[in-house]
Amino acid sequence: MKRTLYIFSDGEIKRKGNTIYFESSEGKKYVPIENTQEILIFGEVSLNKRLLEFLNENEIVVHFFNYYGFYIGSFYPREHLNSGYMILKQAEHYLDTTKRLRLAKKFVWGAVKNIIKVLEYYIARGKPLHEIVERIANLEPSISIANSVENLMAIEGNIRDHYYDSFNIIIENENFTFEGRTRKPPKNMINALISFSNSLVYVVCLSEIYHTHLDPRIGFLHSTNMRRFTLNLDVAEIFKPIIGDRLIFSVINKGIIKPSHFEEKLNGIVLNEKGKQLFVQEFDERLKTTIKHRKLGRHVSYRELIRLELYKLQKHLIGEEEYTPFVAWW
Amino acid sequence: MITGTLIWYYYICPREVWLMSRQLTPWEENPFIELGRLISQESYERDTKEVQIENIVIDIVKTQDEEVIIGEVKKSSRFIKSATMQLAFYLLKLKEYGINAKGILLFPKEKRRIPLSLTKEMEEKLNLAIDRINQIIKSETPPPATKNRFCAKCGYREFCWA
Repeated sequence: MKRTLYIFSDGEIKRKGNTIYFESSEGKKYVPIENTQEILIFGEVSLNKRLLEFLNENEIVVHFFNYYGFYIGSFYPREHLNSGYMILKQAEHYLDTTKRLRLAKKFVWGAVKNIIKVLEYYIARGKPLHEIVERIANLEPSISIANSVENLMAIEGNIRDHYYDSFNIIIENENFTFEGRTRKPPKNMINALISFSNSLVYVVCLSEIYHTHLDPRIGFLHSTNMRRFTLNLDVAEIFKPIIGDRLIFSVINKGIIKPSHFEEKLNGIVLNEKGKQLFVQEFDERLKTTIKHRKLGRHVSYRELIRLELYKLQKHLIGEEEYTPFVAWW
Repeated sequence: MITGTLIWYYYICPREVWLMSRQLTPWEENPFIELGRLISQESYERDTKEVQIENIVIDIVKTQDEEVIIGEVKKSSRFIKSATMQLAFYLLKLKEYGINAKGILLFPKEKRRIPLSLTKEMEEKLNLAIDRINQIIKSETPPPATKNRFCAKCGYREFCWA
């Protein structure tokens, strides 16, 4: 099975024969190209064009993060799956406001359903979250009557605020108190984790989009602004609660991530190297976790679920089958 | 324009015809595609290979006792129906150009060769298939997914059943 290559140390990455070679003060490492799915680079790494050509040929996406763990950008190789037809369909669903809003609502609806699933999971474990679930459930009908994407975004923000109220109840750890969402920079440890976790979900969605005929620049909920990737942000909405947030709760509650894994930087708080490594390791494990898929009748990993979601989206775009977002059933 | 490949797909799954016509290629992590190409390249080195006539590409062409024989090389006989009809389609095309050729299906890995001549019945079947393929391609949406014995190893499996 193909694996994601994560690089945390500083060093040099290059092509050596038909393998990826990484050299740092901690040693030398050879990674077979055939086993590599994508590369995430966190350390200060130097690389050359020869390597990029090699990765391009082998259709491997590379995601770069800065010293603080914030996403910088991706090396997105030349598109290998081209279908003018699919791009036109995607653009059609973006340009037609009715069609766009219809899809945008699906992403928000899927996100909300999965948020509720996460909360119900903790209710089953004795957390008093009924009231929050109720507040969110009360807001859910407003998604369907939203009349613009902006309006929809506002509703989503509202729901998310209620959702964030649950974080302190779920975590119950005075070291990790959450006082509202802060982004650039995150003002406390929970915010640092949320930011980091979200960017991981974004890049995995982007890597998966690369292996479909979809264009990552045309999103529906998140506006296409001519150059940035946005479709991955849309798809990530559905998976952030069940992959990212669930993981945040679990690493804190199990004591895997501790206050010592953070540092104060940029007038805010970010994960330190050890913290990033630990979180990424757990994240990778989670992506490989499989569940029994009802329709396919076999076990699929969370990563595959993302790919399947993209296929469902394609089927919606070609007018074959109305898209229904994935909602966890456990 | 109908190609031999489309005939091939048609007899495996009509849905594949529609998807391929839109360049919606299947999930590609499939080493068999590369293997098929190699087998076709490295087998029958003495013969004339890859002859292109308009929109058809014939793997192997040779003449024997003033008779033209065209060969289609396949990795395995798993898709024998598709392979037969694809070759029959080439024979039909050649007939339209005034060439009465004979065909031969080649499975080098299985050391099997199956001779094939175009029959009236095959011609009728092909003409029906061509009409049907044109209809499929013209359609706004793909034919619905239906399970068949090829689904298990198909690159569209997840796409169809997600």
